[in-house]
Amino acid sequence: MATFLLALAAVLVAGPMGGLLAGADRIVTARLQSRKGPPLFQPFYDVLKLFGKAPCVSNPWLIFSAYVCLLSSATALLLFFMQGDLLLLFFVMTVGAVFRVAGALSVPSPFGNVGAQRELLQMLAYEPLIILTFVGMSLASGSFLIADIYSLEDPLLPQLPFLFIALGYALTIKLCKSPFDIASSHHGHQEVVRGVLTDYAGPQLALLEMAHWLDVVLILGLCALFWHTSPTGMVVLLAATYALEILIDNCTSRMTWTWMLKNAFGLTLVLAVFNILWLYA
Amino acid sequence: MLQLLLFGCIVFPFLLALAAAMSKNEGTRRTVVLTGVGGTALSALGLALNGGFWLPVPPESWLNGFMTLLDFALLGFILYLAISLKHRLSILLALGQTAGLLYLDFGLVSGHVSSAFYADPLALAMVLVVSFVGGVICIYGLGYMKEHEEHLRLITTRQPRFFFFMLLFLGAMNGLVLTDSLPWLFFFWEVTTLCSFMLISHDGTREAKNNAIRALWMNLAGGLAFVAAMLFLYKSIGLLSIQAVLRINAVAGLEMAFLSLPLAFFCLAGFTKSAQVPFQSWLCGAMVAPTPVSALLHSSTMVKAGVYLVLRLSPAFAGTTLASLVALVGAFTFVTTSALAVGQSNGKKILAYSTIANLGLIIACAGIGTPEAITAAILLIIFHAVSKGLLFLCVGAIEQHIGSRDIEAMRGLCQIMPATALITVIGICSMMLPPFGALLAKWMALEAAATSITLMPVLVLFIAMGSALTVLFWARWAGMLLGLNPVGHRPVQEQQDSTVSLSLRILAGGVVALSLLVPFIYLGLRDSIRELFGVGALYDVNMGVFANGIGMFAVYPLFILLGLGVVYALRAMRKAEGRVTALPYLSGIQQIENGKVGFNGPLGEFTEVTNANYYLHHWFGEERLTGTINTIALVLMVIMVGGLL
Repeated sequence: MATFLLALAAVLVAGPMGGLLAGADRIVTARLQSRKGPPLFQPFYDVLKLFGKAPCVSNPWLIFSAYVCLLSSATALLLFFMQGDLLLLFFVMTVGAVFRVAGALSVPSPFGNVGAQRELLQMLAYEPLIILTFVGMSLASGSFLIADIYSLEDPLLPQLPFLFIALGYALTIKLCKSPFDIASSHHGHQEVVRGVLTDYAGPQLALLEMAHWLDVVLILGLCALFWHTSPTGMVVLLAATYALEILIDNCTSRMTWTWMLKNAFGLTLVLAVFNILWLYA
Repeated sequence: MLQLLLFGCIVFPFLLALAAAMSKNEGTRRTVVLTGVGGTALSALGLALNGGFWLPVPPESWLNGFMTLLDFALLGFILYLAISLKHRLSILLALGQTAGLLYLDFGLVSGHVSSAFYADPLALAMVLVVSFVGGVICIYGLGYMKEHEEHLRLITTRQPRFFFFMLLFLGAMNGLVLTDSLPWLFFFWEVTTLCSFMLISHDGTREAKNNAIRALWMNLAGGLAFVAAMLFLYKSIGLLSIQAVLRINAVAGLEMAFLSLPLAFFCLAGFTKSAQVPFQSWLCGAMVAPTPVSALLHSSTMVKAGVYLVLRLSPAFAGTTLASLVALVGAFTFVTTSALAVGQSNGKKILAYSTIANLGLIIACAGIGTPEAITAAILLIIFHAVSKGLLFLCVGAIEQHIGSRDIEAMRGLCQIMPATALITVIGICSMMLPPFGALLAKWMALEAAATSITLMPVLVLFIAMGSALTVLFWARWAGMLLGLNPVGHRPVQEQQDSTVSLSLRILAGGVVALSLLVPFIYLGLRDSIRELFGVGALYDVNMGVFANGIGMFAVYPLFILLGLGVVYALRAMRKAEGRVTALPYLSGIQQIENGKVGFNGPLGEFTEVTNANYYLHHWFGEERLTGTINTIALVLMVIMVGGLL
């Protein structure tokens, strides 16, 4: 019970942390583009403003889907902080992804529908990569429990370098960051408007934004597992990964889903399988 | 008492099937079917409460001779059927089976072979699934067939024939899982072949006949493999009992070589019945039959006979090359048929491919053969039966209402059939999301694959890819069903025959209830699985949390968390109902006309908006993939059997 309450508290702290990260992301991105950028707390102002909007939904199931999305992200993060099972965590994450898409498909807007189809293809790309990464971790630690990874003497990264790259790809796809902002871009002025998010508005969009913050924290947490032995190692690894992520986000342009499946996914899958074979042999 | 319960599970459905065949009017037929289903279900429940048993039948018992007689009578009838169909391949296969059985019974076997009825928790779970899920499907059939025949404008009803074979199917499946004697099992095995042929061809269209013939010859080929396996088995150990095979392996620790040939042929027989690639086409073709037939074939009977046989025999070949090949065939089927399902918009075909994929996963688990994998396989059998039965019944009800089984036609179904749409979504979620039992089983399967000794990377890759593909085709289907007319939404009352709506609710409730009961189901199975493998490990269950040292699946905590969350989300949603204020976004020119969403086109003309899914035929189309898949699968089959000869 104590673990549960502690993990719950961690989830409550993690949300705002994710928001701050989003704020920092926006500032760094702005600087890369020679702009000043918004204040650090801008994501919070945005969410508060969205919550203040009058409800404006074209299908009540959008409300349901948005709540389930947030619920799934929070539960997955809770499992992470409770040092639970990696595969179970992954399956719980799927619940949110499925309902995000289901909500978009429940509305006959072509933008939302195309976005949803693309999101499904993105899921098709990142899900096997995440599963393979977790299997690789279990090969290295002998267990799917996060607790058992923490009890290892040596960091995982030297054993799982290719799976770390695979996870990096998977997470870029999951977070819809460029060049994989295929299902929904951050800017609402592109060919699919906001894609899968088009018909989520006001409070629902705010819920999804909060779910996104939690996802970012979870994903960084998963990356941190690759260097669990020292806090410094963890921070350095995370900072480097996130900085690279922002850099790639800013200096690549959006690719098509065919490119994603054929090149990015194909290559990464080979890397992931290679790493597993290496550990297995 | 035991004899009575066995009678109730096996013979009673046969007798009631005869009664159904003779009841020409609807009222009697209803009574007969309900009595048959109720009696069978009660006997199954009694049998399950009674627990496992071993009931030997003495060699001099009349039953042995009677079963032999039935074996030949059945083969004779199938031969007659094949001849009257003028289908040369089926004739040859039936002749081959008859010759093999003649040689076995009168050439090889001297005197009587002892036989027995046998049940362990696996068999009892199967009996419950067959009797309850199968029973609900039969009840649904009452309402469905009435409407089906009204739709076809039949003058004389063909329902007596229909329910004769439906009830026969239940009895045959119960017999199949409760017998230890392989020749008896073979009889029930071929009864299911016959029933499925008759039921697939039920509507009598040209397509139905052709597909039924395909199902017939493929399953007869499997039957031939079964006969061959019995011949090889008798030649090597002189016994035709499943338990004997398992005991030999456990006790003697002998080199398995003399058993691998018969076991490979039994697996081949199981693959045909469970429609593993390259035999998948008969099951896809079977969907031309009325929906209750598809539901029965796909969920509780027929295809489950195949996986049951492979699973039952799996301890005998655990750890051998054969086991690795079986695992490979299963995992390969799982990923390839999931990919094929992505390319389909026909609802029944999606369900069919998903069935084959799940059976593949069960077969893969049987091949992996660790206690965890076997647990996963049994749970998958149970949960897949309930969920898939439910989904087929949903598609049937939807098809009768909207006149199409294409999922594109089901957009916005929430508007016209709110209850059925919601039940379908529950069914879909129960196939792929936590905290439902099927997902627990998939989790066990994935962890078992990740710890399997041979072929681990390939198995994991196939299962990971397969489950991602699975999520894709389920998620989009669920989303489409949830569509509502944006403005002026008024809940409608659905008109359904009471048997139809009741069966949908029973199965939907059942899938939730069983998922909640899964710790108890597991505890009921655990001891027998441990005994089979002689190990103490496996999952510990504490407060609904499964844990085995390398993994943990928190069933009850997730049920509570997700359950509360879903209830809250539903309440939030209900509050907004009737206060829908926005139209779907169409670049700001969205309009609504006669309840249809669209926009004003260039000449001010209203254009309704239409959406469609990506089916990606150039990647996932049948014509694109099937050839390659079948070739690879055929090579695997040849290696499996040829490698041992």
